[in-house]
Amino acid sequence: MSAVCAGGHESPGQWAETSHCRVAGVSHHGTFTALDLTAPRIATKASPGQFVMVAVPGGGFLLRRPLSLFSVRGERVGLLIERRGAGTERLVSLAVGDAVDLAGPLGSAFPIDGVSDALLVGGGIGCAPLQYLSDALAAAGSAVTAVFGFRDQRAARVAHAFSISRLLIASEDGSVGQRGTVLDALRDLEVRPGTTAYVCGPSGMIAAVQDWCARLGLRGYASLEAHMACGTGACHGCVVDTAQGRLRVCSEGPVFALEDVRP
Amino acid sequence: MSAALDPASVDLSIRLGALRLEHPIVDASGTFDLLESALRYEGDFFAAFPFAAYVPKTVTLEARQGNPPPRVMETASGMINAIGLENPGAAAFVAGFSRWAQLRQPVIVSVGGNTPDQFAAVVRLIEQRLSAAAPGESPRIEGYELNVSCPNVATGLQIGADQAATAAVVGAVRGETARFLLVKLTPNVSDVTVPARAAVEAGADGLSLVNTFKAMVLDRQTLRPFLGNLTGGLCGPAIKPIALRMVGEVAAALPGVPIVGMGGVMTGLDALEFIACGATAVAVGVANFGGLEVAARIVSELRAELAARGLSSPAAARGLALAGAA
Repeated sequence: MSAVCAGGHESPGQWAETSHCRVAGVSHHGTFTALDLTAPRIATKASPGQFVMVAVPGGGFLLRRPLSLFSVRGERVGLLIERRGAGTERLVSLAVGDAVDLAGPLGSAFPIDGVSDALLVGGGIGCAPLQYLSDALAAAGSAVTAVFGFRDQRAARVAHAFSISRLLIASEDGSVGQRGTVLDALRDLEVRPGTTAYVCGPSGMIAAVQDWCARLGLRGYASLEAHMACGTGACHGCVVDTAQGRLRVCSEGPVFALEDVRP
Repeated sequence: MSAALDPASVDLSIRLGALRLEHPIVDASGTFDLLESALRYEGDFFAAFPFAAYVPKTVTLEARQGNPPPRVMETASGMINAIGLENPGAAAFVAGFSRWAQLRQPVIVSVGGNTPDQFAAVVRLIEQRLSAAAPGESPRIEGYELNVSCPNVATGLQIGADQAATAAVVGAVRGETARFLLVKLTPNVSDVTVPARAAVEAGADGLSLVNTFKAMVLDRQTLRPFLGNLTGGLCGPAIKPIALRMVGEVAAALPGVPIVGMGGVMTGLDALEFIACGATAVAVGVANFGGLEVAARIVSELRAELAARGLSSPAAARGLALAGAA
């Protein structure tokens, strides 16, 4: 546990999710940036679908940013970041060796037990949690197909950051892969009965995939995002409406049964 | 200022009205969840609990599902929120007492409502439960903090912005409990000493201030209000100078009335500023969202800041900003 997890000051215990990490790798892919962090404590405990709260370095920001786990390999934890505002702008300018404080892993995970065929559907930055999920499914012997949709060629460059054996790309401007949305790509796909769908992306895309799955009788899971304050269940700031009532994305989610979400 | 002291020699303990606290730092209601946090600690959580008293999320008589999302957004040096007092209601609250009975520190229950009767009914339910519980079955509830930021159902205005409504709520609760009674004041008034005085004259033992400032943030794409509730409450360092001014005004107007100061406390030095403006205790709010370890850091920073100024206790710093300012 070198260079991580200084314990509490005055007590022998420690906060389970706090990690002080270093950036081990940075790569830029169009409008996205992949950060690799040395974070053994998080890597050991994480499951696909979970997220971390990342402190924006350099001061001036109050709230940590929730980011999905993009990959977990050995002691390394990968994050995929899209510039959304000043906070993510600061995060994507991190360099190798920089210190980063994060808390995690947080939230619910994608269920993967007993899945023979998995269909991963991502839109834009929503693709982020699907690499780690694909790795876990493949390791468990599931057959994985992924369909990712991007706005344009610049956004689609992030596909190079993924390694999923069967990955289909759709772009709205037709510059990469199939022209159209992920729904257009899904309609052309042969889907085996009993396939489990995993969806993450804009709410309109989740709604469309939810409909499509309902028509085909496929079960699935959706990972949702929300503005968060604490990320640890205290503030109730990140709730979403679901069939089970108003639930916290940070605690009951971010992964919900696809049929329960109200995108 | 006197010569610096050894931080270990600083006595951080305080008396907040009838309460004896290990140090001045408490949590602002709704920013720290005892049970969620306990799940996230490796070791003896109750031994490591960082606050001198625990102020849980506001409880109302009936369950409330709160405001529609989105509910929070970071702003320049601050945060806006519109949670809407989501809580499971008073019956569920008292039913869960045994789950936090192990807490050593006193609990100050934050109570909300739209009418004096609703406030009184929550407190009555808690008092009944405390009388009926065997020792060790319930937490050390030693006080209440009346969150008068709810709309008054009669007028639609915040109860706390109306001195008569504030006094009516305090009077109704005072009839139900002899425990330490705080009123959490709203800053959305032109003279905060008016509701402050009304609360104390109606029987409050102390005052908490400030709650959040009514504010708005837009979705900058659509130019529509971002929050599901359209408006929300602004907190964080952006409001700290206003909060310090208001705490100072109340401390000067009502000397001897214990104050829990709050508004953008991120460090021990921020806490010391509130004490210098007349606060006895200081609540940490949005800073808790920066990590569960933040509270312990603020306590140790406060100790160091007092020691560096040769101040042997929080009491020695209290009101330093007010001397000659009146």
